[in-house]
Amino acid sequence: MIAAIILAVLVVLGVPLFIIIATSALYGFSSIDVDLSVIAIEIYRIADTPVLLAIPLFTLAGYVLGESKASERLVRLTDAMLGWFPGGLAVVSLFACAFFTALTGASGATIIALGAILYPAMKQAGYAENFNLGLITSSGSLGLLFPPSIALILYGVIAQQMDIGEKVAIDDLFLAGLLPGLFMLMLLTLWSMYKSTGMHIVRSEFRWSKLGAALLESIWEIPMPFVLIGGIYSGYFAISEAAAVAVLYVLVVEVVILREVPLKKLPDIMRDSMVLVGGVLIILAVSLASTNYLIDTEVPVRLFEFVKSKIDSQLTFLMLLNIFLLLLGMILDVFSALVIMVPLILPMAVGYNIHPIHLGIIFLANMQIGYFTPPVGMNLFIASYRFHKPVTELYTSTIPFMFILMAAVLVITYWPELTMYLVENKGG
Amino acid sequence: MNKRHIVRLIKAVNRIEDWLLISMLAAMVILAVTQIVYRNFSGGGVVWVDPLLRMLVLWVALSGAVIASRTDNHIRIDFFAKYISGKYYFYVKRVVHAYCVVICAVIAWYSIKFVQMDYEYETEAFAGVPAWITELIIPVAFGLMAFRYFLLLMSPPRSSKR
Repeated sequence: MIAAIILAVLVVLGVPLFIIIATSALYGFSSIDVDLSVIAIEIYRIADTPVLLAIPLFTLAGYVLGESKASERLVRLTDAMLGWFPGGLAVVSLFACAFFTALTGASGATIIALGAILYPAMKQAGYAENFNLGLITSSGSLGLLFPPSIALILYGVIAQQMDIGEKVAIDDLFLAGLLPGLFMLMLLTLWSMYKSTGMHIVRSEFRWSKLGAALLESIWEIPMPFVLIGGIYSGYFAISEAAAVAVLYVLVVEVVILREVPLKKLPDIMRDSMVLVGGVLIILAVSLASTNYLIDTEVPVRLFEFVKSKIDSQLTFLMLLNIFLLLLGMILDVFSALVIMVPLILPMAVGYNIHPIHLGIIFLANMQIGYFTPPVGMNLFIASYRFHKPVTELYTSTIPFMFILMAAVLVITYWPELTMYLVENKGG
Repeated sequence: MNKRHIVRLIKAVNRIEDWLLISMLAAMVILAVTQIVYRNFSGGGVVWVDPLLRMLVLWVALSGAVIASRTDNHIRIDFFAKYISGKYYFYVKRVVHAYCVVICAVIAWYSIKFVQMDYEYETEAFAGVPAWITELIIPVAFGLMAFRYFLLLMSPPRSSKR
């Protein structure tokens, strides 16, 4: 009990999470008289997990892509394809943001890179300020469910460590995220089309010449998603190999062919991207130790028995899970939330007959909303900083989008087939 | 040793950390790519490359974490700390940094024992490389992080970026 209070105080004071998790592991192991060098053994397990290689590689690829002008080309290309649609540029923004977030992993980058282009463009086209801000802020986390989302990889890695009987393959997670992600995108598209009927918006015309020009200028980037996704789904690449191909491809295109990222800048980009990776993986490393302690002392089992004695239906459990995850997403970023909570929640969910893959998608779908839920969603602050708007204005502008995505989360949660259909019916 | 020397020393350490990280990441990219090429042309990859790549992930991750400590840039929940007023915030930060020094030092200490054990048992990691060398990064990284938090404790950054 005292230990729990001390941990809570450390959280409130703003101690880095990896220190807090390490504290609990050290405390736990010493209380059951295990030699504390066990923590080093657990940290070393980072080097025993082959898939983890994908995380630094995809992150580096994303950072390099973020430094290039790929974002501008992506917007022009999406505009040439979808700009004539009812809802015009709003729909363009949604698709471009989802795509860019999926490719770059970290969602804060999307608002900074794409927001700079889309926000003024939408303003000029006549969209209401409030709608414009809300759309861009909430689109910043849209790609979380699409491959090669780093969050999905991390969930797979943690679930594989748990040994819960069912296999959680990362390429299955990639398949599982597709339909729920598209569903969210579709709801937001419909909403944007509906909202923009009331505004006097200049829509761009569809012209083959425009599409041709946009295709031509993006000719180097277009094959990339097909190579990666195709390679992974066909089984030709392992995930970490796809990541290596992605890095090589991005470097060759942006640094050598297009020369948009100067070679001189590359060391800084490499360092900055690895500071992010290090921050996430060190939390994973120490929590391997704390999770091991929890499992040794059967905390997840006891927690499940306790919850089971209070809640007996799967439906109630899911409902409470959604509320809990939404709150969690408000104060924790997706990576730390995964590392800390999945070891506790996954055994429970399996106990309630929820498929581990389904749980992963539910988890991330909730977290995605947490990114822009007032008062502390991270993307609200990034957008506030980027567009020089008070955070309170962003609170009001994102609310309709929040409700739409919450509705989507409910559907994703209570209709498991949406998630599992592609996994269960994959080719072969 | 006066203050100027210390500043110069810290800058040198910064640069060494940066370049170690960058070269390891570059090695990781090159090895991962050549491994794929190799696998496709000769049917199988080089045996020792895969464990080396996994080791590099650990080394790159911990080095990245060390650099994150330099500017106190680790993931934390700063939801509550926002409400601590400026005057107290300064003291709170000192306590937090002192606590980080202790925990990092404890982990570094026990990791040395872990490395020592594998040194004595002459455990092999892969291709004749002794395991203790691949494990060395753990005490080194946590030691460096303890050092970083000690520096932050001694001279907190002037501009309190929150």
